[in-house]
Order: sequence, then C-alpha cells, then structure tokens
Amino acid sequence: MRFDFAELPGDRTSLVRPVLPVQVEDLDDAVQLCLVDTGATTNRFGVWVADATGIDLRGAPESTVVVGGLQTTARHARADLTIAGVRYDAPVTFCDPWPFAFNLLGQEGFLRFFRVTLCAAEWWLDVDPAEALRRAGSAG
Amino acid sequence: MINNGEYDLGIARFTIGGEQFELERELVEEAVRQVLPDPLRDHYVVVGGRRYPPKQVIACVTGLDRADFTTHHARRILKRLGFVAARSAPHVVEEPGERADAGPYGGRQAAALAPYRGKWVALAAPTEVLVAAETPEEVLAWLARHERRASYGMFRVPASDREAEGVAPV
Repeated sequence: MRFDFAELPGDRTSLVRPVLPVQVEDLDDAVQLCLVDTGATTNRFGVWVADATGIDLRGAPESTVVVGGLQTTARHARADLTIAGVRYDAPVTFCDPWPFAFNLLGQEGFLRFFRVTLCAAEWWLDVDPAEALRRAGSAG
Repeated sequence: MINNGEYDLGIARFTIGGEQFELERELVEEAVRQVLPDPLRDHYVVVGGRRYPPKQVIACVTGLDRADFTTHHARRILKRLGFVAARSAPHVVEEPGERADAGPYGGRQAAALAPYRGKWVALAAPTEVLVAAETPEEVLAWLARHERRASYGMFRVPASDREAEGVAPV
C-alpha cells in the first residue's frame, strides 16, 4: 500500500517527512500520523496515547532513554496497531515526557513486520506486510 | 427574531427574542478564547486568529440557543464589531506535483498547516484541518463531541525546522 510523505511548514521551505497513519487499539476516530524512523530501535509513542486507548502501564517495565537529545521515561508494553489495513500485536514504548511532533515507528514493532520501500525522490513509501505477519493473519 | 440593532465603534447592541444584548469586540474574543471551533459549513468568522461558525460565537457569548437566530444575523453582528467574516471555499481535490520541489501536494499541505505550528491538529484529508488545539486530549475530545474522524491522521505540527528534524523542543 502506497502512502505520500507529509509536507510540514518549514522556516524557508516545506519539510517533507515519511509518515504513516496508524490506528492504535480501537482509536479509529483519531488515527495517529507516525514518522517512520529507521534508526529507532522500537516504536516510541507519547504516553498520552496509552491513556487515550486504555492501555494500562501500571507495572510495565520501565527504563530511561534519550530521544532527540531529550531524556525521557520509557514504559514498555504491547498494543494492537493497524497499519496498511493489517492489525497486529506490537511492542510499543510509551514515553513521558514526549514533546515531539510525531510518534515513531521503529525496528521492533514496525520494520520487523513490514516490507517498506522508501522513495524520497518522489515522496512516497510502500508498506506491505512481511510474510510472517501475513501467515499470522491468515492463521488467525 | 433579531432586530437590526445599533452599532457604535466596537460595540454592537441588538435584540434577540425580546432580550437586549450589548457586545464589545474584546468580550467576544475573551468568550471564545478557550473554545475550539465547531466544524465549519458555509460561513465562518475569524476571532483570535481562528475560524468559527458565526452562530457558535454568538451562542457562546450570549448563552442563547443557536436556534434562536440565523447565521446571517450572527455574521452581521460580528462584522459590525470588526471581525472578518467569509464564506468557506469548496474543498479542492488534490492533484500532486504542481510544484516539483515542494512535496507530494505541491506545497499546499505545508501551507494549510502553517497557521498551526506548535499545535496538535486532526486532518480529514491532507489539506483539510478539522481542529487545532494545544493538547492531544483536546483534539480527541473535539472529535468525539462532533463525531468527526481524523481519517488522514493527528499529530503536532512542528514549531520549528529543528523540531521537524527530530530535535526535542527547547
């Protein structure tokens, strides 16, 4: 499935970023536009997403991570994500504080589940479920 | 019914359903400062840099039911107070690639988002901003209250190039 990059207003010109619409759990009224970050080890979302979707983080494993120069508390949990029409159970790290514009899609929880083709020259990315996720979907 | 009312500089006096009102421009701005705009239909008025349905503004500042007056009357009162009122432009179907260097929407998406730097937004389509607010919780509450869907997505428009590039805001 193909998605266009997003254009963000910049100081001098548009800034174009690879983003994907992600439904978290059953929050279908408010799809989250997430940044594809090939350098991120895990999916990193703001903690407000867990609050909004009723993901209970009490007792979740916790660590301190640094993202974009900011130290933040990360709670590690799982969430149902729907991307490119496929719903799957993914590891997600919920961070507090999270002052960033976008939630991040990273290695664990996204890239490991999909075949992703980026074409920054033409501002699109193709996202298709990897074979393992396809098999899991058809088995379910 | 609303009568034509009287207008001094920056003050509007008018009657709705037998009740008299006197509005000042500053009073209107203060009344809607913390209020998110409802979905726009044909007309809007600009208050505090945001577009509101005219009837929402008058209802908010007077406490009247919106059924008690018309959009036309609400517009007229607000225009006389110096607010810009206009008709919403029809939604334009996007044809990507108009400007080769500006991105997949020819710069139109960036232009549509530019007024909302630093705000959380929900979009129904790449250039159709449904709501903008200070927090994601406000955006979610607005979507639920108005039964609208951010099909394209919600996120916070970066306030600066540095933020868009992934650096934490100062």
